[in-house]
Amino acid sequence: MKTPRLHRFLISWYPAPWRERYGAEFLALLEERPPGLRQALDIVSAALDARIHPQLRPGPLLAAGPPVVPELRPPSVPLGSYGVVPSPPAGAMSRRAFMRRMVGAGAALLSLEFLGGTLAFLWPQFRSGLGAKFRLGRLADIVVQQPSFATGWPFSYAPARAFLVNVPAAKALALGQEVSIPDPTADQLLALWRKCPHLGCQVPSLCETLKRFTCRCHGSTYNIIGEKLKEGPAERGMDRFALEIDDDGIVVIDTALIVAGAPNLGQEYLTFADPFPYDIKCE
Amino acid sequence: MGDGPSQASELGRFAEPAMLVLVSLSASPKHGYAIMTDVEAFGATSLGPGTLYAVLARLEAGGLIEPLESDDRRRPYRLTAAGAAALADQLAEMGRFLRIGRMRLRGATEGADR
Repeated sequence: MKTPRLHRFLISWYPAPWRERYGAEFLALLEERPPGLRQALDIVSAALDARIHPQLRPGPLLAAGPPVVPELRPPSVPLGSYGVVPSPPAGAMSRRAFMRRMVGAGAALLSLEFLGGTLAFLWPQFRSGLGAKFRLGRLADIVVQQPSFATGWPFSYAPARAFLVNVPAAKALALGQEVSIPDPTADQLLALWRKCPHLGCQVPSLCETLKRFTCRCHGSTYNIIGEKLKEGPAERGMDRFALEIDDDGIVVIDTALIVAGAPNLGQEYLTFADPFPYDIKCE
Repeated sequence: MGDGPSQASELGRFAEPAMLVLVSLSASPKHGYAIMTDVEAFGATSLGPGTLYAVLARLEAGGLIEPLESDDRRRPYRLTAAGAAALADQLAEMGRFLRIGRMRLRGATEGADR
């Protein structure tokens, strides 16, 4: 049977004396039990171990008769050919080839790490952070957690940096009415991203007096559904995340799908107006 | 026996596989593949081929096992007298360990019941 290339490759990691002694039986073993990836790694690591423990290199076989007494060797380098490096026996790996192989393996490992790091950086986030889908829970649970959500106060969900707004109840709240809507439908809900579209500060909670949001950094002011009002430098309303209520009634926010807030074109373009003047902000 | 890598401590990470190989060879002489399948059968674990031969080289260098003559390429190994003695020592040590472990565990569970 012809020795498979993989087996020859694996055994080439061992030092020559080891191969002379164990090579044949080792190849026989590999033929009976072809190595997988784990076994291949095991062999390479054992081969390196054999290289760093030369004292474990076996003596002659018992079957080979009494131990051979090493002959006194004549000077191995004749004067005439001084400086010529003797080549290793055919089939054996020279020290130089071994070093080359190790350098190659090191370079390969390094480039693999770079490649892995790059891919990890490009890999989208699915479970946490911006880009993930967040399951906020059932509306009933949200109302239990924050009863004022039914009467229009935004529910802040920190992991997604979002306000969940109960739109009809919120509009009523801003108009000064007391309405309780504990079970809005998905299209009556808004997920406002609490990142101010001006420079990215976190938009604070609704202020009690005006029922508006005013960013603390530069005063950009939004109405209760996130539309930009007169005050502040932001040029559009608060951005929104895609939102759905799944078959189990769980509110799901997808932070990979962002709808930019409407540009600030003027008072007449607002879809909702609260009773306070267009140009005032929360203090 | 203190000379050569016969002592478990000198075998390092190969101490446990060496134990498995010694136990396997104590039943009968075996070649590499037979040792592997035997260890899988009684040891509920598996030896990689590299590990197996690293162990065989160490045990052979320590005089605990010896290679036998063979017609085909697969060479069987046999436990030497020194190897049998070393294995007996190891098993006695493990027996002591087992006894102490069981005794302490019994004490611990009784203590927890109270």
